[in-house]
Amino acid sequence: MLDPVILAEGTQLFGEIGLAILGATVGISLVVFGAARAISHIAGNAVESIARQPEAGGRIFTTMIISAALIEGFTFFALVVCMLVVNNLGTFLEAMAK
Amino acid sequence: MTALGLSILASENPLDHVVQHELFSLGPFVFTNHILMLLVAGGILLLILPLIARERSMVPSGARNFFEAICVFLREEVARPALGEQTDRFIKFIWTIFFFILCCNLLGMIPLDSVLFFLSLGHLRHFGGTATSNLWVTGGLALCAFLMIHVSGIREQGLWRYLKNFIPPVPWPLIPVMYVLEFIGALVKPFALAIRLFANMMAGYTVLGALLIMGLAAKSLPIAGATVIGCAALSLLEILVAFLQAYIFTYLTALFLGAAVHPDH
Repeated sequence: MLDPVILAEGTQLFGEIGLAILGATVGISLVVFGAARAISHIAGNAVESIARQPEAGGRIFTTMIISAALIEGFTFFALVVCMLVVNNLGTFLEAMAK
Repeated sequence: MTALGLSILASENPLDHVVQHELFSLGPFVFTNHILMLLVAGGILLLILPLIARERSMVPSGARNFFEAICVFLREEVARPALGEQTDRFIKFIWTIFFFILCCNLLGMIPLDSVLFFLSLGHLRHFGGTATSNLWVTGGLALCAFLMIHVSGIREQGLWRYLKNFIPPVPWPLIPVMYVLEFIGALVKPFALAIRLFANMMAGYTVLGALLIMGLAAKSLPIAGATVIGCAALSLLEILVAFLQAYIFTYLTALFLGAAVHPDH
């Protein structure tokens, strides 16, 4: 991905702005992948521990929901950063061209 | 349906709900629909909750039962584990935060702006929206939480003890590093509260708008119908997210408040 030949071909195909938008999109997709893996890990452990001890089901369920919401919190952080990048591309490119 | 009605329905922009719209401006002060929804949420809570709380029967029923169940749950499951014996001092703040955020989130679910737009034949635009999908609104709420946490901590423990208890006990070479980290943490935690609520509220409507745009771009009625049904299902998920995000904000505020007011546990 960081091979100079691929980057040069990419810049030819998409142009500067296209490459920047592609970078933001790939970034947010990686963050979403990480968050999905983390939440599924929590959900799997929660289901297993409810199976082991059904009386604690209520507390485990609540903890699982809270953890999922907290993980989604910083996923949305990354989403907001990517949206800022895409919205202010003109300003960034002008600042870099100086 | 008349042609006028259909054209009014068709002129709705799917991404209208995501941004705020100016209703009128008095000089430099711009009155947007989010400000209107903040006032509506505050007005509804100020009107309805005292009426419900004034019923004096021993056994609650109906609306009072509903609100009392929520309040007791917040006091016993959220506030008392975090705050201990100071629950009654801060419970009003926690109840206010929860009900205000919940009311703002749920008011955004009601398609008030579309209904008013249709009924007034195109004259009243943008009379609704989600107030908490604005970073300034959630930032204001997080600022209230931030001030409450630190001012209560300083009032409870005195400034010197509060600063001493700011960091966990570590060996003395690490103390400056811990102060820097805790200072950054104290700024980042309310910021994360604000961003979490804002992004959850805004992302739901962005996804709905994008789905509608893609569904309507197919220019065929069955696909558009299936898209609208999918959007209705997504809106049910939005209601869950509305309740959950209000609960998370309240829970984290109570947690930080408990940590500031007595840091022993």
